[in-house]
Amino acid sequence: MKTKLDNKLAYLLMSPVLIYLLAVMVLPFGWALYLSFTDKVVGMPARFTGLTNYIELMRDSIFWKAVWNTIVFTGVAVFFKTVFGMIMALVLNEKIVCRNLFRVLLFLPWTIPTIVSVFTWQWIYSDVGGVLNHILLQLKLIGQPMGWLAQPDLAMISVILVNVWRGIPFMGIAILAGLQTISRDMYEAAMLDGAGAIKRFWFITLPSVKEVAILAGVMTTIWTLNDFEIIWLLTRGGPSNATQVLSTLSYTIGFLNMSLGKAIAIAILTMPPLIMLINYVTKRSLSRE
Amino acid sequence: MENNSLGKQIVVYTTLAFMLLCALFPLYWMLNTSFKSTGEIYRLTPTFWPEAFSWDAYAKLLNEKGFMINIRNSLVVSLTVSLFSIAVSMLAAYAISKLKFRGRSLISKGILYAYLMPRAVLFIPLYMLVSAIGISNSIYGLMLIYPTITIPYATWMLISYFKSIPVEIEEAAMIDGCSRARTLRSIIFPLAAPGLAATFIFAFTLCWSEYLYALVIVTKTADKTITLGLSEMIVGDVFAWGPLMGGSIIASIPVIIMYLFTSKYMVSGMTVGGVK
Repeated sequence: MKTKLDNKLAYLLMSPVLIYLLAVMVLPFGWALYLSFTDKVVGMPARFTGLTNYIELMRDSIFWKAVWNTIVFTGVAVFFKTVFGMIMALVLNEKIVCRNLFRVLLFLPWTIPTIVSVFTWQWIYSDVGGVLNHILLQLKLIGQPMGWLAQPDLAMISVILVNVWRGIPFMGIAILAGLQTISRDMYEAAMLDGAGAIKRFWFITLPSVKEVAILAGVMTTIWTLNDFEIIWLLTRGGPSNATQVLSTLSYTIGFLNMSLGKAIAIAILTMPPLIMLINYVTKRSLSRE
Repeated sequence: MENNSLGKQIVVYTTLAFMLLCALFPLYWMLNTSFKSTGEIYRLTPTFWPEAFSWDAYAKLLNEKGFMINIRNSLVVSLTVSLFSIAVSMLAAYAISKLKFRGRSLISKGILYAYLMPRAVLFIPLYMLVSAIGISNSIYGLMLIYPTITIPYATWMLISYFKSIPVEIEEAAMIDGCSRARTLRSIIFPLAAPGLAATFIFAFTLCWSEYLYALVIVTKTADKTITLGLSEMIVGDVFAWGPLMGGSIIASIPVIIMYLFTSKYMVSGMTVGGVK
């Protein structure tokens, strides 16, 4: 019974999922790939134009700006999410009172709908009645109210902050799961050998959570790389493209300028790094089985 | 760890307090704002506690027909999609986790790929599919494409649940003369019930919170979902912060309640079984 292959039954059971995914994900994606080589505009038939879309994008300074912004946004956000996630995990791994309650509370930012967190932060950043300016003025950290979303350099920091605020809990809980697999004996042995707190962290804690942290980090990178809602709702990619990333540029070109072909080309250009990251996750997750 | 010195305790609890403040203040601010009167909201110096509790924002939302329709649409779409996704995903997940067949690793890899494929890449192909079929601009369009989010996710989560059910139970049942269908119905699915429930809940919250697909597909007022309804409370540069924060609270309550029931399953599912 164990050695026999259940080909027929297996494919019968999987058929709804496989047919759906082929029809609604794979085929449309293939069609879109073709359209990226055309001048497809909403409501007009497509004409094959070869690599025109791609060449135009390569010559477009806004495209390159969006590439750079995407790298900055993703790199900085993932870095801080990992660092603060690690701190959150270390704190929650200590023997503290009401640990489960605190764990649930710290996880809340990740559970609420993205759009809700965006509006809340938009209100906090607001230049009329916004509480962030008020608090910072009271603490004398700033001399005058700041336009958190209006000044180009500040706007990038502001959108990153929202993404980090939302994303810390995921990293924190993932790393915590890794921390809980470390046995107390290892720390005690290290302490007997005279290893200080920093040494213990560096030689026991970090290596033990490395794998989990990298896996969660790569998944976070995939999501951050493609974050649309936070930036679109807070700044629409502005001011003057200061927060324009590839996902918002693709939406703008596709749905505001109606050039679907070119918008798809942007999405296609993000695929190679994306495939590398996804490959990494699939390899790691499947090899653990 | 023995050295629970006072110094360490202070560091741990200070860090914890700071993190709680950062995590919860925005949520508190949303709640606080939703109970203020319009006059108090637009005051130059924000108040950290409403001077007089006002239900105006909520009353306005509940009286406005549009927002109730948004909630109903979101409920209908999220429930339909999650139920459908769980129904087909559990069959596929059973096959992938328990049966031996040709192409198994390729298919589980494909499912994981589909799960990780970002919406920012797929939204234009899906928009074009839905408009080619002629159901764009309606909740049926969303019902067709939301399973691209929920099916790969649910299948992947359920594979790990089914794997945690020992093969011996199944074999014992089959030796006792149970057919495979009967084993599935009376042993496997009941044992996986908590997992099925958790997966259903997460699938529901994924649909409930979705914005990008809804934005590109639905433009008809009567078919808009709650996320679109919220974003449309902003007209130009005018932000009605009271109703917007009240609406945000209403949109968050179902997902927070569902999360409280299933928090222990959440992370192992989201990290695609890599973290347990």
